[in-house]
Amino acid sequence: MNRSTRIKEKSPVLDALIWLVMLLVLLACIVPFLYIIAMSFSSSRAILNNRVSLWPVGFNTEAYRQVFAYPNFFRAYRNTLFYTGFGTLIALTMMVIFAYPLSKSRLKGQPIVMKMVVFSMFFGGGLVPNYLLLTSLRLTGTVFAMLLPFAINQFNLIILINFIKTIPDELEEAARIDGLNYFGILVRIILPLLTAAIATVGLYTAVFFWNDWFYSLIYLKSDQYPVMLLLRNIVNGTTMVGEAGGVGENASVAIAIKSAVIITSTLPIILLYPFLQKYFVKGMLVGAVKG
Amino acid sequence: MKQVKPALPARRPALRRYLYNNWQLYVMLLVPFAYFLLFKYVPMFGNILAFRRFRPLTGPFGVRWEGFRYFEQFLSQGDFWRAFFNTLTLAALNLVINFPVPIIFAVMLNELRSLRFKKLVQTVSYMPRFVSTVVVVSILSELLSPSSGALNRLIQGITGQPAVFYMNEAAYFRPLYILTDMWQYMGWSAIIYLAAITGISADLFEAARIDGAGRFQLIWYVTIPSIMPTIMIMFILRVGHLLSVGFEKILLMYTPSNSMVSDVIDTYVYRMSIAATAPQYSYATAIGLFSGIVGLVLVSSANLLARRLTGESIY
Repeated sequence: MNRSTRIKEKSPVLDALIWLVMLLVLLACIVPFLYIIAMSFSSSRAILNNRVSLWPVGFNTEAYRQVFAYPNFFRAYRNTLFYTGFGTLIALTMMVIFAYPLSKSRLKGQPIVMKMVVFSMFFGGGLVPNYLLLTSLRLTGTVFAMLLPFAINQFNLIILINFIKTIPDELEEAARIDGLNYFGILVRIILPLLTAAIATVGLYTAVFFWNDWFYSLIYLKSDQYPVMLLLRNIVNGTTMVGEAGGVGENASVAIAIKSAVIITSTLPIILLYPFLQKYFVKGMLVGAVKG
Repeated sequence: MKQVKPALPARRPALRRYLYNNWQLYVMLLVPFAYFLLFKYVPMFGNILAFRRFRPLTGPFGVRWEGFRYFEQFLSQGDFWRAFFNTLTLAALNLVINFPVPIIFAVMLNELRSLRFKKLVQTVSYMPRFVSTVVVVSILSELLSPSSGALNRLIQGITGQPAVFYMNEAAYFRPLYILTDMWQYMGWSAIIYLAAITGISADLFEAARIDGAGRFQLIWYVTIPSIMPTIMIMFILRVGHLLSVGFEKILLMYTPSNSMVSDVIDTYVYRMSIAATAPQYSYATAIGLFSGIVGLVLVSSANLLARRLTGESIY
């Protein structure tokens, strides 16, 4: 489809209006982050006197120094990296070996398993049954409470199944004739062709683990908390970092520190996001076309 | 909840050959399927706790049948009904406002002449989707802080009115919830409509243009009707998940002083069970089951309605 043939009529007012709206959207998405960055680099005096807007006033890195000097910060960050890395690994392994047999519609029993997967997207155990299951399995208070229960996400599974279905059957048949069994086909034929899908689903899963705070709160012990839960505890006042706390100057320190934690915990996503965007979008589109 | 056995009982040689050819696939299926049953279907089955008395350390399924006792209990609770109507109100407002917004956004994006600017807006507007709810609410509370927040400073600078503690005022809870949802998901939800618009045949536009249609008419008579099936499907999905409002965000925005509007079913369940000093697990499960069933009824009726009206459905 050629754009130049699509928009021929000139209506400068409409164009200007759309430009303006889009510009506002752009600013609305960026400005909050700029504000937080400015806060995190500003002096507590400038924050106290309400002089900071979108650019740091009295530039200094004191807030970051205090955050980095706070031992729990690194522990929380390490925990986050651990859950994100291993959680994603387990999830991908489980979902790939689940998706491959499920991509074969001719397989007896496949339709009913698919129906069970779809049904569980719309109905499931609520908060309490899930919580009680994990307590009964004695997983709460261990890192496995974070790593195991979320491995199979139905939406991501369907993305994988749809991707595998696009691989031509002839490839597999040829491999079968060459004497490769299904395990061999999965590892040698399917996996190499699935890298884009695995990137997509892996990214969704990684983002889930990176951003989680609620399940960590109900399932884990405080020394196992990830950085998002630390941030939540700083924001609601459960945890104090550095010289933060109280009123006046110290309250301003708290704001700078809070901003520094927001930035350090979100930075990886913001930095990586533009390069990975195409994978995210691809998944959204494939997942929407239900198999 | 039917359990499916990977292998059917052997009867005919054809079946033996089938199994001989496919047993590896079933073996592969075994572990993830068991895993799936354990973490999705066991909790689903765990809903029977809604009808049974819970005793600590005796497993998640309860010890004695209690019939509909817990249902009668919550149905006669004012707190439950408050949470129920708060959920409905918030969900309905959010649907009415945040369902059309991504569609409008996608149509507008598509009208941009500069492809580079379009790409930039797309990239930037998708990003908030990947930011944690904690970060969203933290940024919000910094921007709205009564002592140092930018918004209060701006308003005070212009009108001289005293600072407002927005995060703590019940009246601002719903608007803030809806606005942050828009901020986070508008761009992301637009992807699907953008793809649908890209899929419209150029001939349709050409034909309409030859008939003398202007740009507004092209949008109204070609673009919108062409993406109607997509809109319908997205609508079904949204309605199906109507009751599952953004629990995590609400929990973060929840304060005692805005609780009369911010206490929704999910937060109520959480407060009555895991967060409570004396957890009422059966009671909370009953509420969870109730809202799960309402959700199921919603999604099936929306699906049925959509099939009747447009021939489009999700299953």
